[in-house]
Amino acid sequence: MERRDEILNFIRGRPGVTFRELARKLGLGIGDLQYHLRKLEGEGKVFSKKVGKRRYIFPAGLEEDAQRLIVAIATGTRRRILLLLLERPRSQGEIAEALGVSQPTVSYHMRELEKLGVVEGVRNGKNVTYHLTHDPEMLVRVIREYRPSVWERLADSLVDILTGIGGEND
Amino acid sequence: MIDLLVGLSVILLALALVAVSYIAYRKSHLRAALYLLLAFLLLAVKKAIELSIRTGLEREAGLVVDALEVIVLLLFFLALWRR
Repeated sequence: MERRDEILNFIRGRPGVTFRELARKLGLGIGDLQYHLRKLEGEGKVFSKKVGKRRYIFPAGLEEDAQRLIVAIATGTRRRILLLLLERPRSQGEIAEALGVSQPTVSYHMRELEKLGVVEGVRNGKNVTYHLTHDPEMLVRVIREYRPSVWERLADSLVDILTGIGGEND
Repeated sequence: MIDLLVGLSVILLALALVAVSYIAYRKSHLRAALYLLLAFLLLAVKKAIELSIRTGLEREAGLVVDALEVIVLLLFFLALWRR
């Protein structure tokens, strides 16, 4: 039981931790950790979400937050945008230049990130500067561990191509 | 035999692009991704029908067309990969 509490406390302190990282940090065996996580999930104290090749574990109560975060980091360009905004707030033009992608592509992704409530645009004269509104530590942790499949990478490129030529949302 | 292999390559590549378009649509909900998905799906179906009815001299001409289709689809993959 003490072991399980230790795992729960660790997850509460680091929402979005991966199974692999959890096992490494706590020095637990795979089978042992799987057993305790199953119990914790069964008790409704934690939940997990598989994204790309990784499974992320969150404490209960963060369901909505986790879902928004996972949608936010779903494409490569969005992950790169979020990492740029971690450094400092930037305008769409600065982001497009830094990433070497078209302005319409950045515009599409910023609109999506704003809808998800992960970034916020602040108007400053003619310019809009975007800054993060999500917990930066959780963002870094989740993005750092993210491993997209080959199919996802191809799909990300396709999304950028389509938004670059003015694709419209549903 | 070669024309069959090339034709099957077209179908496989088209289906792979259907999968890529589907993942892109799920991630973005862009209608353009949905149109692409349908276009690649129709291409795969068209090729499957062609393979099933092809005979005689049409086979040589068909082989050239198939090879061009493989090249077009490979170039599309390459464009996504190297971007």
